[in-house]
This record gives sequence, structure tokens and C-alpha cells, in this order.
Amino acid sequence: MILAVAVALTAGVLAFVFLIRPEDLPPAEEAPPWAHLEEKRDVLYDNLRDLTFEYSLGKLSDEDYAKAKATLQAELGKVNAELERMQVQKPAKTAKAPAAPQPAAGTVCPHCGAKFDKPLKFCGECGKPMAGGGA
Amino acid sequence: METLGAFSLLLALCLAAYAFLASVIGGWKEKPFLAESARRAVYGVFVMLTAASAILVYALMTSDFRFAYVAERSNRAMPAVYKFAAWWGGQEGSLLLWSWMLSLYAAIVAWTNRARHRRLMPWVIAVLAFTQTFFCLLNVFVEPPFQMLAVGRGVTSVADGNGLNPLLQYWLMAIHPPALYLGFVGFVVPFAFAFASLLTREPGEAWIATTRRWSLVTWGFLSIGIMLGQGWAYAVLGWGGYWGWDPVENASLLPWITGTAFLHSVMMQEKKGMMKVWNMVLISATYFLCIFGTFLTRSGIVSSVHAFAQSSLGSWFVGFLAVSIAVTVFLILRRLDFLKSESHLESVLSRESSFLFNNLLLLASCFAVLWGTLFPVLTEALVGEKITVGAPFFNKVNIPIGLALLLLTGVGPLIAWRRSSWESLKRAFRWPVLAMGLTMAALLAFGVRHFYALVSLGLCAFVAATVVMEFYKGARSIAARNQMNFLRATVELTHRNTRRYGGYLVHMGIVLMFIGYTGSAFNKDTTEEVKIGSHFRIGAYELHVKEVTDGSNPNYSWQRAVIAVHRNGEYAGDLRPERRVYAASQQPTSEVAIRRRLNEDLYLNFASMSQSDPEAAIIQAYVFPLVSWIWIGFYVLLFGTVVCLIPSKVKYAYPKTQVVGVYERQPEAAQ
Repeated sequence: MILAVAVALTAGVLAFVFLIRPEDLPPAEEAPPWAHLEEKRDVLYDNLRDLTFEYSLGKLSDEDYAKAKATLQAELGKVNAELERMQVQKPAKTAKAPAAPQPAAGTVCPHCGAKFDKPLKFCGECGKPMAGGGA
Repeated sequence: METLGAFSLLLALCLAAYAFLASVIGGWKEKPFLAESARRAVYGVFVMLTAASAILVYALMTSDFRFAYVAERSNRAMPAVYKFAAWWGGQEGSLLLWSWMLSLYAAIVAWTNRARHRRLMPWVIAVLAFTQTFFCLLNVFVEPPFQMLAVGRGVTSVADGNGLNPLLQYWLMAIHPPALYLGFVGFVVPFAFAFASLLTREPGEAWIATTRRWSLVTWGFLSIGIMLGQGWAYAVLGWGGYWGWDPVENASLLPWITGTAFLHSVMMQEKKGMMKVWNMVLISATYFLCIFGTFLTRSGIVSSVHAFAQSSLGSWFVGFLAVSIAVTVFLILRRLDFLKSESHLESVLSRESSFLFNNLLLLASCFAVLWGTLFPVLTEALVGEKITVGAPFFNKVNIPIGLALLLLTGVGPLIAWRRSSWESLKRAFRWPVLAMGLTMAALLAFGVRHFYALVSLGLCAFVAATVVMEFYKGARSIAARNQMNFLRATVELTHRNTRRYGGYLVHMGIVLMFIGYTGSAFNKDTTEEVKIGSHFRIGAYELHVKEVTDGSNPNYSWQRAVIAVHRNGEYAGDLRPERRVYAASQQPTSEVAIRRRLNEDLYLNFASMSQSDPEAAIIQAYVFPLVSWIWIGFYVLLFGTVVCLIPSKVKYAYPKTQVVGVYERQPEAAQ
């Protein structure tokens, strides 16, 4: 009896561990290659929020606040620029991916491929009109 | 059944070893099927260890005295709850609990991250499975829980067991070890993520975000475990001590200290990308200290009332620690470029520098405790004689460090991130310093002359004032802006940044605990041989020993002294300290009686009947001022930790237009 239970247990465990069908594999990760920059951007926004709050509580002098804010905004600018650069380059390569959601009209420049959060009349990268821009 | 238990353990060991190898190869060669089978093997380990644990618990609950473990740790008369607690009452069973908890954590990590961190996860599982393999090896080969009592070649049994150590038959002790293990075992998870991110050079701080809650929950469990241990020592050992700097107590404190340092310094990495090497060292040290603590408790290397018997486990742990530490140090050194700081300390007057000092002090305290704990081992190895350092050494070193840390607990929140000016600091420190000064002046006026007590209570007032101010200023600002009442604004403020304000609540808990610890400077005690019907005094109390009764139940026989308490002449009730002798082990224990109040505890221990006079009882009486605040502080600390775990309501609500304005100017700045 004990032997039978042990054999059944072993067989069950081995089947569970080794019998893996392709559809059992976890789905491909959706995280884009610039995820760490988005993470950094969010942290910088968070730091700015903290800074403003601490300033409103009187923990910083006007001068300290201005300096710290300028430093953070400069860092944020760099991160946003880098993020934008990566987002512009990468979608061009993976444009044929079937699962990619369709961008809203006027958010992708037909001339240089730059992507934007909001629909625009003119591209923020190359300055050319966004064809079909619905702004 | 025992065969099935042993077989389950063996299968768990094989699966854990497979999970380790498969995840290493799967991660290294990027083989998703192999990585997936490693993940499934982790679930398999959990199922097998659950089965083994269930079999052991079943044997304990049904008093199956064919099992050597059951015969040694349980007996028929024990209440069911202690029969269950006997699972972790002995070396073999508690190691099985360790293994089972690790497998539970590993299964949770594998399940919750099954579709995330595809590069990291094989290596995370490798670290978890490596640790799991080590503990399963101990379960199978070194301390097997399924050994049977045997005569010749046949299995036999005894009529009744020896019973659980009577000192452990106390409700706090039934939950103290699992809580402590949840803390000890849990730190393997953040370590595994840190190790994996280092190995794969994963960009960003994903491992920190993923393990933030793990680290906090684990730290919370470790705190619960330590406090339950203190509560048990206070109520059971009969002398009112809640902390004796015993090596096993120290073993649980060490990872708590480094874990606390990690929880603080990791914020600097999240916010500013600083101290990456330091954080890696801290989380690794915390993990190794958890393993080291387990080693210290179980190897018999140090003498302690809490330690398990001498065993051959020591060399296994030393081997495991040596290999793990060597690999981790090598990896950190090889990845120094990856761990380069992204920014630097902008000013000494900044929150960052207060965190830095906090870390240095915590590390100094950790080193002092470690040094004192290992001193007997070192002296035995070097001069052939065990020289033990006692509580005076630990107190001498740790009290000043503890007070300096308390000071920083108050200073930190007052200083802004990045930089602060003297002017704003002066403004911020005004009220807290005033609170400290007034408290110290009041204490001096009431005749308190104890230096450390004065400083400690003064600093407690300082920190409490900073915490109250932080809540007050923030809530006032929200209340004014949103036209809401102050109480709702306080809740809103906390909800907007739960980590920060939960952290402040934790600080408040620490303050209350310090108040409780400081009370020990004013303890009073007396031991009296009192004839039944007579009185004696301690402090404001007059104690009248009315009678001594006795009786028995199947588990133990008892003698109970009934003592009427009068405080400042007024009757304040009866206390009934008890003395027990357990039937199975014939071991005597004390059940103290405590009158708990916020200002002080009256603590009575019925030591024995007098040898010279059968009509007289020997009563030890203690007055412990402020001790209740330790437990109250602990509940506040726990509440603060839970608040930290609640997701913040406001995320990235900073007006983006302001940022965009500068962002447009950014190319000019770059030129």
C-alpha cells in the first residue's frame, strides 16, 4: 500500500514537473525595453511631489527649493528625452507586431515616426504636419 | 505512515536540487521549458514538505509514540495546542518547519511572478532552491524527524512521552517560533531578487519595487517574533527580564538590525540611485545573519537557555555559509561597475546624510552585538577558554548607540531631501528641542538624576514632537486646502504617502518602546520569606500572603499563593502566583502573577515554600516602572508597518506642466 502511494506520488510529481506543453509557458513579458526609464521618470515625479510638499511645510528655504527643483527638472528632462528617443526608435522596428495596439490618430508622426501622448497638429520632433492630426 | 513521511522529504530534496540545477541552466542558456519545469519543481517541494509536516503533526496530535520525536516532545496530558506546537519544540521538527516555510515562500514567489521578470526569475528560483536544498539535506540526513523507536529490528512504542519542555508550554511560545521563522526565512526572498538582478545586470530597480512589501512584511514578522520572545521571557522566566542579551536573542536581533538599516538605505537607492553597493551588502548580510542565527541556535556552539541541544549541524551550516558568502562577495566585486551610484550626497544637511548616519550606527550596533555573541567562541578558539561577555558589555555599548539612533529618528524627518539650510533647520527644530528641554527640566524637578534615563526620556519627547509636528503640519495644510476636518485630513495625509507616515508611526512605536526600556532604570525588587498571614512591602505596595493552596491535573501539580495587594493603603485586588511541577518531566516552573498598569507593573513570583519553615512562602516581588509601554509601542510599531503596506492613494500627482516647461528648456541647458 505504502509502496503504491509512493510510486503514484512520484509519478504525479514527475508528470507535473516535466510534462510541459508550449501553451503552459507564461505569456511573453510586455515590458518594453525602456521600462527602467519610465520607472526612473515616475520616481523623479514622485521626488518633485515630495519636494513641493516639504517646501509647503516650510522644511526648505526658497533658495534650496529652487535649486533642488531645478536639479530634479533637469534630470527629468534628460530622462524624458532619452525615453522619447528610445520610443521613437523601437516602434519602427516592431511595427509589424500583430498584438500592438493601434495608436490614436495624430499621435504618431507619418514622416519621422515619433510618438506622442496627445494628438498633435505638428510633429514635436521634425516639425512637419501630422497627417490626419485631429487636434 | 512514517515511511511516507521520510519518502516525501527525500522527494522534496530531489525536487529542490532539480529546481536549482534546472533554473541555473534554464537562466544561463535561456531555456524557457527548463525554467518552467524548475518553477513547477518549486511547487512540488512545497507539496512534499506539506505532506511530511502533516504526517508529523498527525503523529503529534494522535500521540503516536512509535515516533522518537513524538515520544520525546509530547505526552498524552498536554493540551492540543501544545501538541501542535511540539512541531517546532525540537530540533528535527523546527528544522522541518523552517524548510516548509521556505517552500511556502518560494511557491508564493514563483506563482506571483510567473509572468513577470522573465530574466530574473530563473536566478531567483535558483537562490531559493539552493537554500531549500540545504535545509532538505538537513531534514533528510542530519536531523530526520521520522525516526522510530525500535527494539532490535522491530518498531516499538512507549506508553507516554516526555512532554514538551514546560517552559515552552505558554501561549506566547506557541506562536513565537513560527513568527520568528517567518521573519528569518522571508529575507531569503529580497536577497534572491537582489542576487538575480546583480547576476543578470537587470537595468532599473525592479527588484527593489518587487521586494519592497516582502522586506517590510518579513521585517514585521521578525519584529513580532522578537517581541513575542520578550513577552514570553517577561511572563515565564520568573525574574521579569524581557531581554538578557542571550546569544539566541542576539541571533534574532542581528538580522533585524541590518534589515532595519536596509529598509532605510534602500529608499536612497529608489529616490536617487545612491548606495547600491551598500544596499546589496546589507540585504546579503541580513540573509546570511538569518542563516547564521539559525546556526547559532542549533549547533550548540554557544550556551543559551533557548538553544537546542548540541548537534552535528554546525559544520553543515559553516559549509553552506562559507560557499554562499564567497559567491555573493565575488559577484558583488565583479558587478561594481553595475552598482555605480547615479548621484552623490549634495549636502551634509540633508535627509540622505541622516540615513547614512543611521546606517553607520545600526552597523556599529550590529557589530558590537555580533562581537559580544561570538566572543566566547573566539576566546575558546584562541586561548582555549570560553570567556563570556554579559549584559553589562552589551548595555555599555548599545545604550549610547541606541540613544544616538533615537536622536536620528527625530532628526531625519525634519531635514529635507537633498539639502537644507541652517535657517529652515532652526525653524524646524524649535518645537522638538523645546519639548525635549521641558521634559528634562520636569524630570530633574521630580528628582530624576539617572543620566541615561534623563537623556532617553528627553529624546523620546524630541522624537514624539517631530512625529506629531509632521502629522499636524501636513494635515493642517490638507485640511485648509480641501475644507475637511483635521481628523479626516490626517487620514488623507497618511493615505497619500503611506510609506512615509506609516514609517513615522513605526518611529512613534520605537519611542514608546524606549520609554518602556528606560523605566528599567528605576526597577525595584525584593525576595521575602513570608509566613502565611503576614505582610511585606515593596515600593508603594503592601502585600499580604493570605493562603497557599495546591492541586493537580493530568499535566501538572501546582501550589498557588494568594496575595492581597494594597497600594498606598487601598486594596487593589488579589494576585495568585503559582508554582508547577509537570508530571511527565518532573520539571518545576513558575507562573508569575502580574498587575499591569501604564505607570508600573507589580510582578510576583512564588519561588517555593521555605525549607526551614513549612508555613512560610518565598516570594520574589518586583516593581517594573513603565514596562507596559514596551508592549504598547510594539502594537504601534506593528500598526505603522501595516500602514506602510497599504498602497498610497496619490501617485505622481505633481503638475506635469511645470516639468514640461523646463523640459522644453532642457536642450539649451545641455548646450
